[in-house]
Amino acid sequence: MIELHRVWKVYSVGPVKVPALSDVSFRIAKGEFVVLTGASGAGKTTLLRLLYRDDLPSEGDIEVLGYDLVPLRRSRVAALRRSIGVVFQDAKLLPVRTVYENVAFVLRVLGTPRREITQRVFDALRVVGLSARAQAYPAQLSQGEAQRASLARAIVRKPPLLLADEPTGNLDDAMEAEIIDVLKDIGGGGTTVVLATHQARLAASLRRRTITLEGGRVVKDEG
Amino acid sequence: MLGFLIGEAFRDLRRAGRVAVSAIVLITLSLAALGGFWLVSSNLERAVAKWRERVRIIVYLKREPPAGEAAALVERVQGVPGVAGVLYISKADALASLKTVLGKDASVVAQLPSNPLPASLEITPAAVAATPEGARVLVERLASLPEAEEVAGSADWVERLSQWQRLLTTIGLGIGAVLAIAAFLTVATATTLILHARRRETEIMRLVGATEMTIRLPLLLQGMLQGLLGAVLALTALVATHGLVAPRLAPLVSLTLGLPEIAFLPPLNLAVLLLAGTLLGGLGGCLARAGREA
Repeated sequence: MIELHRVWKVYSVGPVKVPALSDVSFRIAKGEFVVLTGASGAGKTTLLRLLYRDDLPSEGDIEVLGYDLVPLRRSRVAALRRSIGVVFQDAKLLPVRTVYENVAFVLRVLGTPRREITQRVFDALRVVGLSARAQAYPAQLSQGEAQRASLARAIVRKPPLLLADEPTGNLDDAMEAEIIDVLKDIGGGGTTVVLATHQARLAASLRRRTITLEGGRVVKDEG
Repeated sequence: MLGFLIGEAFRDLRRAGRVAVSAIVLITLSLAALGGFWLVSSNLERAVAKWRERVRIIVYLKREPPAGEAAALVERVQGVPGVAGVLYISKADALASLKTVLGKDASVVAQLPSNPLPASLEITPAAVAATPEGARVLVERLASLPEAEEVAGSADWVERLSQWQRLLTTIGLGIGAVLAIAAFLTVATATTLILHARRRETEIMRLVGATEMTIRLPLLLQGMLQGLLGAVLALTALVATHGLVAPRLAPLVSLTLGLPEIAFLPPLNLAVLLLAGTLLGGLGGCLARAGREA
């Protein structure tokens, strides 16, 4: 499903080279729920961006869902991303569209037949427990609801891989628990989930495989 | 999918707001100017064509040929290069014609001691000889006939009319081009604003694996929509102006140019204007995208 082999990512800041990831290698099997943890700046977001091919590594090889990402052509990147759901700390909802329209937008962009859209959107909203708020606008949602809407948008295409970058970073404990429950449900349905969080407490409470990054290096891979 | 793309294009148009309206107005002005000059120019072209057909060269004869020789003379002149038709006008025919022209004053002709009018040949030039240069060559050829006393006529004034028509076309194209450039840049500005307003949509679209075509097509479509709207408004303005002005100018045009009415642009020209507006808008949309990606 996911395989990284001796991956480096180095940013140049003027003459200075700053390594964001150093010699990172690991494998994630299909259906696994993996927590990626580490302090802010440890390289979690950089790693996730490499996984959905938003950036390229400076060195090393990455394979995701059978795609070799380094030589992957731009035209094939779209095909890769159609199999990946991504959630961010900021829900990134479109403010002038309702929750329903935000989730449906993804399907419409990908040319899903109109008759399928309604059913699939309400299926996704039911998974995240947001069916009753389908006609609400993002400004009318709590942060937890907005994040659940964002999750619905990520899973509406039923992708085999879900990447979640600090999805609970802005939430209080109750809302965090809601999101984590939803993520567990999604993972339980066979979707591979990679959850990045800086909250060591959250990572420990999940009792899943946890990869810990420090200064861009994998220092622990357990569970 | 097409419905989605068109829906996004309309949404983008609304986002661009006043800038899109300015672009549409500029496209309307440029195409209305172009169409207006085209309309005048095409009518002048019709007049030129009509008057070219009416160009005649008259060969006044030294003496009236005897009855049996006139037909042979006509046949000989018919063979001169550049001559399409020859009509022999005898002295009597010329006098009758003068009487017709004089109308109620025709009685003055009776006071003449003899018929002073010469016999003549009325020459219809072929198309090649209906130009100033062609007409001059033909006049020289006809003047060298031993029977010719004097040769009158040229195509100079028709050519001057033709030059006016070309000048009008050039002015129209010039004004239309300047306004079109302004419209093009305004569409590009409107599209740049749209790009800024829809950056989050674009981010999401790329994230979920939309193709570049799906991302770009609404931008192109909204530009084309601006162009098409501008073109439709320009044509509406042209139709309304023509309907209002043409009947009032018809007598003047008939008197000066000999045209029965001011004709509107043919359907092909209207299609060209619509296409030009649509392409202009589409190019503006493309330019904004190219600038952003550069």
